Amino acid sequence: MAEPIISIRNVSKYFGDFTALEDITIDIRPGEIFALLGPSGCGKSTLLRCIAGFETPSTGDILIDGKDMTEVPPNKRPVNMVFQSYAVFPHMSVEQNVAYGLKMDGMSKSEIAPKVAEALEQVKLGQFAKRMPDQLSGGQRQRVALARALVKRPRVLLLDEPLSALDAKLRDAMRLELVKLQQEVGVSFVMVTHDQSEALAMADRIAVMKDGRLRQLADPVTLYERPADAFVADFIGRVNLFDVTGRAPFTAKSLGALELPPGAEVPPVGDLVLAIRPEYIHLHPDTSGPIPAKLGDVGFQGDISVVEVTLSDGRAILVQVEHDETPALLALPLGAPVSISLDLTRASVLPVSDA
Amino acid sequence: MAETSLSRQARAASPARKRRTDRPGPFDYARKRWLQLVFLLATIFLYAPIVVLIIFSFNDSRRGGNVIWRGFTTDYYVRAAQNSELLEAFGNSMTIAVISTLFSVILGALTAVVLWRFRFPLKPGFEGLVALPIVVPEICLGVAIAVFFSYFGLYIPPGTPWPFNLTNIIIAHITFSFPFAAMVIRTRLQTFNREMEEAAKDLGASEFQVFRDILLPHMKPGLIAGALLAFTLSLDDFVITFFTSGPDTVTFPVKVYSMVRFSVTPEINAASTVLILITLILTAVAMRFQTFGDSR
Repeated sequence: MAEPIISIRNVSKYFGDFTALEDITIDIRPGEIFALLGPSGCGKSTLLRCIAGFETPSTGDILIDGKDMTEVPPNKRPVNMVFQSYAVFPHMSVEQNVAYGLKMDGMSKSEIAPKVAEALEQVKLGQFAKRMPDQLSGGQRQRVALARALVKRPRVLLLDEPLSALDAKLRDAMRLELVKLQQEVGVSFVMVTHDQSEALAMADRIAVMKDGRLRQLADPVTLYERPADAFVADFIGRVNLFDVTGRAPFTAKSLGALELPPGAEVPPVGDLVLAIRPEYIHLHPDTSGPIPAKLGDVGFQGDISVVEVTLSDGRAILVQVEHDETPALLALPLGAPVSISLDLTRASVLPVSDA
Repeated sequence: MAETSLSRQARAASPARKRRTDRPGPFDYARKRWLQLVFLLATIFLYAPIVVLIIFSFNDSRRGGNVIWRGFTTDYYVRAAQNSELLEAFGNSMTIAVISTLFSVILGALTAVVLWRFRFPLKPGFEGLVALPIVVPEICLGVAIAVFFSYFGLYIPPGTPWPFNLTNIIIAHITFSFPFAAMVIRTRLQTFNREMEEAAKDLGASEFQVFRDILLPHMKPGLIAGALLAFTLSLDDFVITFFTSGPDTVTFPVKVYSMVRFSVTPEINAASTVLILITLILTAVAMRFQTFGDSR
C-alpha cells in the first residue's frame, strides 16, 4: 500500500462542552475519492475544516505528505477546497477567480494565463472566461470553484457537500463528471456528504461518522454488505432491523426463532439487532411462506418495487420485489394476506449502535 | 402597514360579495384616491420649501423680504458668485467636507471591521460608545468639543495659512460623522459570506490580501454610502461648526446664518440652490458607483 497522503491521527475537537470529533484516525490514500458520510452534526464538516486548516484539532495530529500541519495556516497548506456555497468571488470574472490562487503564489501573468485556460477547459468553461459570476448558473459556478481549486495542483482536493446545492438532475450528471475529473487529474478527493447514495456512487472508500465518532471505514460494497453496526446498516441503503433476544437460536419478537447459518459472525456481548435488507426478503403473494404478513403500499419504482408489509404483531417492514412480480401484487387489495421468507444467509446480527 | 390592514379588510369583505371583487392586486393601490392623496401630501411636505427656495432665487426683488415675486432674474446667481466672503465660506465648507469625509470613512471602516470581525471583552460597551455621538444632542457635542479644545489650548492662532486654519472644525466634523459611516459600513459587512474569506485563504491569500482583494470590494457600496452620509453631514453642519470655528474661519451654513440675520436676499437662495445641485449630483454619482460595485 502506498504511503498515505493525509494521515489523521487520533484527532479530537471540542467546542466548549460539545465534542465535535472524538479520536478520529483515518489515512487518505493517493488518488482515491474518499467520502466522509454522516447525518448533519456528525462532525464530518469539522474534520474537513481541520484538514483545510480552518479549525485546529484540540488533540491529535494531521499530517499531509508526512508533514505535521498543526502549525501551518490554511493559506500555506498543499490542499484546496471547494466550498458548499462555492464562494466564487462576485467582483472578479471567471478568469480572475481561477487566476487568484496562482497570483497569490506570486506567479507571473504569462505563467498564469495558460494554466487558467487549461483549468477552464478541464471543467468545460472555456467560453465563459470573461463572464462575471452573477451571469452563471449554479452548476457553472461550481465548475469555477473546481477550476479555481484544481489549478493550484493541490495534493488533495477537499469538497464540502459538493452536490447539495444543485438540482436533482444536474446532481446525477455532476456525480459522474466529478469522478471523471478526478481520474483525469489524479489527485485525491476528500468529500463531505450526508447523502449515502452519493457516497456509494462516487467514493472508493467511505468513513461513516456519527456524533463525532468514526463508526466504520470501508469501501462501498463492504459497507453495504457488512455494516459494522445497526446505525451504519440503517444509514446506508434500506434495511429492516429487528431487536433480537437470546442466543443460538435468536428470537425476534416479530419473526420468532431464527436459525442463522453456521459460521455467521455474532458479536459476543451487548444488545443485538438482526439487519436484513429488503432485497433479501422474498414476498409470496399468498400464504405459502413461513411468516404471515399483510400487504401494505406497493411503491412501484420501475425496475423494482419496494413493498411495505405488516407482520402479525403490527410491525411494518420493507420488501423489495422484482419488476416481473409486481403486477400480481398490485392486483391484490390492501391488507391482503401474504407471506414472506427471509434469506438468513444475507442477514447480519449487529450490535446496537449507541454503545 | 396601511396596505396590510387594507388587504385584510378586503379579504374579510370578499367572501360576502361575489368572487370577482377580490382583494386588489399590488399595483391596484396606486389607483386608490386616498393613497394618491397621501402621496401628494408627503411630496408637498418634503419638497414645497425647496421649490419655493429655488423659485425665489430667481426673484428680482430689490432688497430685504424676498417674499413678493417681482419678476425673473439671474442677477443673484451672478452676485453670489461675486460675493468673495460667500465664496470663501463655500470653499471652506467643501474643503472641510472632503477632508473630514476621507478620515471619517477610514476610521468608520476600521471601526466597523473591528466590531464585525473580532470578539473582545466589553465589546457591547465599545459598540455603545461608538454609537453615542449619533444620539448625543448636537449642541452638547458642540459645547463639549469647544471646551475640550480650549482646555487643552488647541486653538488656531490668527493668521494660520489655509487650510490649516480649518483643523479644529475638521476634527470636530470627523468626531460626529465617523460613527454614521461606521454604522453604514457595518450593516454592509453583515451580508459578507465568511466562506469567501476562507476560500481566499485556502487559495493562498494572507490576512492582508483577503482584506484588500475580497473584503474591501465587498465593503465598497457601504464605503460609498458612508462617505456620502459623512459628506452631507459635514457640509450642512451648523451647530458644532459654530462652536469650533475661529473668528476668521467661516463655513457656508454659518455664513448663510449671518446673512439671514441681516436680511433674506435672493443671493442666499441662489447660493443654496447651487449647494442643493451639488449635493444632488454627488448623490447621483455615488448611487451610480454603488450599483456598479454591488453586482451581487
